Amino acid sequence: MINYIIRRLLLVPLLLFGVTVLIFAMLQFLTPVDRAALYTRDLPKNERALEGIIKVYGLDRPLYEQYWRWLVGVRDPQTGERRGGILFGDFGWSRTGSQPVAQLIATRFPNTVDLTLWAVAPVILVGIWLGVQAAVHHNGFIDQAGRIFSIIGTSFPTFVFGLLVLMAFYAKLGWFPPGRLSDWASAVVNSPSFHHYTRLLTIDALLNGRLDIFLDALRHMVLPILTLSYINWATFLRVTRSSMLETLRQEYVTTARAKGLPEKDVIYKHARPNAMIPVVTLAGFSVVGLLGGVVITETVFNYPGIGSAAAAAASQLDVVTTLGFALFNGFILIVANLVVDILYAYIDPRVRLS
Amino acid sequence: MRKIFFALSVLVVLSMVLAACAPKTPAATQAPATQAPATQAPATQAPATQAPQPAGFKSKDPTTLVVAVFGEPETLDPALAYETAGGEIIQNVYEPLIFFKGDQPGEFVPLLAESWTISEDGTTYTFKIRQGVKFHEGGDLTPEDVAYTFQRGLLFGGTHGPQWLLAEPFFGVGIDDVSLLVDPEGNLYDDREGIKAADPAKLLEACQKVKDAIVADNENWTVTMKLAQPWGPFLATIAQTWGSIMDKEWVVANGGWDGSCETWQNYYAIPSEEDPFTTIANGTGPFKLDHWTQGQEIVLVRNENYWREPAKLERVVIKQVNEWGTRFTMLQAGDADFVAVPPENRSQVDELVGERCEFDLNANTYKPCVEVDPNKPLRLYIGQPGVTRTDIFLNFNIAETSNYVGSGKLDGNGIPRDFFSDIHIRKAFAYCFDWDTYIQDVFNGEAVQSPVVSLIGMPGYEADAPKYSFDQAKCEEEFKLADVDKDGIPAGEDPEGDVWTTGFRLQALYNQGNTTRQTVSEILATNISSVNDKFVIETVGLPWPAFLRTIRNKEAPYFVSGWLEDIHDPHNWYVPYMIGTYASRQGLPAELKNQFKELINKGVAETDPAKRHEIYKQLNALYYENVPTILLAVATSHAYEPRYVEGVIRNPIFPGFYYYAISKK
Repeated sequence: MINYIIRRLLLVPLLLFGVTVLIFAMLQFLTPVDRAALYTRDLPKNERALEGIIKVYGLDRPLYEQYWRWLVGVRDPQTGERRGGILFGDFGWSRTGSQPVAQLIATRFPNTVDLTLWAVAPVILVGIWLGVQAAVHHNGFIDQAGRIFSIIGTSFPTFVFGLLVLMAFYAKLGWFPPGRLSDWASAVVNSPSFHHYTRLLTIDALLNGRLDIFLDALRHMVLPILTLSYINWATFLRVTRSSMLETLRQEYVTTARAKGLPEKDVIYKHARPNAMIPVVTLAGFSVVGLLGGVVITETVFNYPGIGSAAAAAASQLDVVTTLGFALFNGFILIVANLVVDILYAYIDPRVRLS
Repeated sequence: MRKIFFALSVLVVLSMVLAACAPKTPAATQAPATQAPATQAPATQAPATQAPQPAGFKSKDPTTLVVAVFGEPETLDPALAYETAGGEIIQNVYEPLIFFKGDQPGEFVPLLAESWTISEDGTTYTFKIRQGVKFHEGGDLTPEDVAYTFQRGLLFGGTHGPQWLLAEPFFGVGIDDVSLLVDPEGNLYDDREGIKAADPAKLLEACQKVKDAIVADNENWTVTMKLAQPWGPFLATIAQTWGSIMDKEWVVANGGWDGSCETWQNYYAIPSEEDPFTTIANGTGPFKLDHWTQGQEIVLVRNENYWREPAKLERVVIKQVNEWGTRFTMLQAGDADFVAVPPENRSQVDELVGERCEFDLNANTYKPCVEVDPNKPLRLYIGQPGVTRTDIFLNFNIAETSNYVGSGKLDGNGIPRDFFSDIHIRKAFAYCFDWDTYIQDVFNGEAVQSPVVSLIGMPGYEADAPKYSFDQAKCEEEFKLADVDKDGIPAGEDPEGDVWTTGFRLQALYNQGNTTRQTVSEILATNISSVNDKFVIETVGLPWPAFLRTIRNKEAPYFVSGWLEDIHDPHNWYVPYMIGTYASRQGLPAELKNQFKELINKGVAETDPAKRHEIYKQLNALYYENVPTILLAVATSHAYEPRYVEGVIRNPIFPGFYYYAISKK
């Protein structure tokens, strides 16, 4: 087991290196002028501005030099100060975020984690519960109703559903506003007296003893969570349902029933745990997806997570920022997959052997 | 540059909305047909309500103004900011020596200068600096701060920011960057390493030249600026955000240039990521920058120690909300006072308008507002010409590398590379553009055709100056007069065949996603083809980088692009169109450029408005006769504000709102 983990960990830097080469190589398909063009939104007013950008950022240097610069940065000949270099955590300057990319990720990622934290339970647990109910009442009313309900959810374009609930619960009823915090709460959080222990707003609010801010933050997350849940339930329902149906047909379930065990025990103690194996994989991917940022949901609800920042960068052709996010997402994906694999090995001994 | 983008999508179009008291959800989005007549039937009410009293309209919180927009500042450093989102913050936090008078982009009042004098010859400006003004962090405003601010800007230079606008008046026509003082050949533009390695004596000399041009007199509390030649638009230039005064001590303390001629080269063409003043601000203005949480909000708070009466609003919150649907719900819920409304969503917001204010072109100001519905919460400002325009630029000399000229020959399957150097071809294209369709389709009828390069109200502008209009007969006539094969016989009579009989094929380019440019291209292509079915124009959308590269390499036969003015002066339009950026991208012949240049230089040095008017009239006539560019139309305002808001100054040159004068009920 330890061996397995070490082997996987050793692969991480190699994989990340591959990711950087791949990302960088893709960038090189564009000419220096093309890449300079990405720094402007319209024809530069000054004729020489494009050449200027190429010069300032060294876009016309040889490929290996640019890659090396990207990797380790350059030292100022006079001050000896290093600028750039992703190996040193400098992912460059985000034009759309008006701050270093690393800082942009550092301020946005906690919000995404916060949302994931609160969204995981409703998305996964309710999805699984729906699936189990559907399987148990196979072809019954609950089964059909649940499937129709979830199919509607999955076929709804996210932004349409998002805007609909926003219209209903915010514009009409005024219950759940978009954004991250109300103005009064934002003023408190930005004041020096508020300590950012974990940078997760809901947790920090509790640690600061500010229940009002905790509730305000939660209130702003209700609609994103609702949207994320509704569009994800169908997948969980389907996977859980079919896995559960298959398990229920297994001989040991028949045996359990023949033994005269109560139906509740048969389903929840014997059948469900075994039906969970594919669901765990799916859940792992869902968590990774949530951590990578949910672009549309965050944009519609103006939630300042990593997804909306990445979307803003991509839509404004901010390559540096987009690259930073791509690399960061690659990192998350690799790490999360590793965690899922390890968990998997832990749950299912067969994985370790293979 | 994001600047133009913002103007097109935000500033011109920026419209604001509220939803406070009667947040009646506008009955769905598509019911304007039945509602429209209602807004146009106030005939009986209008005279009765000259000054409407919207008694019932109250905001949720009269102390805080909330604005929901999209697009963030690139930098808050006044010397480098060259886009509207940053300009708006700078305009409210920092202050220039002189500022715009109310809603007039071309008239000025003293601000940090108490008064100013201009020497007889128009080259020396002396500003009397206001005493007793404090920066937000406690520093006192001194003449030294003023001189330092302008010196710093000029020495920062760089082609990506606004400093070229100041460099020319100080250094002379054509010297648009400080690097030219070090190397007149122009090899050091934006070359940060090159400047650092340049001859120290030359660096010192350049810096000394800047310091000699801008001199502070701390005894008499004045600053004297010596220009290289008289410069008509000088006041217009320094009234902008790049004329905002910074506190020298504070800049130095925060790691900025120390004011010494030994070190300036380290700051030349500095990009915002290395500039310490990208995200912090310390001005003398009516609002302080409280915080900027990137991607979320910028909060300004009232400066209680302001040298004038403090602002009426206590806080201004500018929120980043990228999605229109979300902004719209915020306005419906009354949580946002102003929201940016894209033109395609205006019909949704128009249904909430209860008061209309129309611009009077003759009086050059808005007429009194008229109530159209006592129950609706918004006020609409309409009809004020903007400060940006999209035009069609014809390329006189298409590059050999171009893939957009078909066969590259006059064989019915392409065009020769000098196709547009034939004046009749240019005129034919101009007569084939349909302005009415353009104004209707793109601006919903809210735009005015431009007869000349500059804008309405400027010296040289005459509404009745000759202009091209849609006339297919004349279009055909001009095509027949053209002599593309250069045999001296007009195409209509050429027995060997010319463009009229052989036809042509070319590709017209726009950048994907820009629907205005796409529509312009398509209107022209359709009309040209309807004159003669042997004329084929294919409109092609390119991704942004490819589009820019194509224009830069002069490969496009013609292209559709725009200009947003930096300062409200004809000079800022004539230079790019006739001798600068666009002229060179279009490959205008040197002879024509020289004719333009002579008049432009005469015009900019002339301080007498009447004489300037005459010079620019000549220039306009010359441009009309040669038609290098098909001039289209200037969009007019369509801006909303809540009826509980008072004091919004609608000056088209402002990068955003000037919050000082705004109050809420």
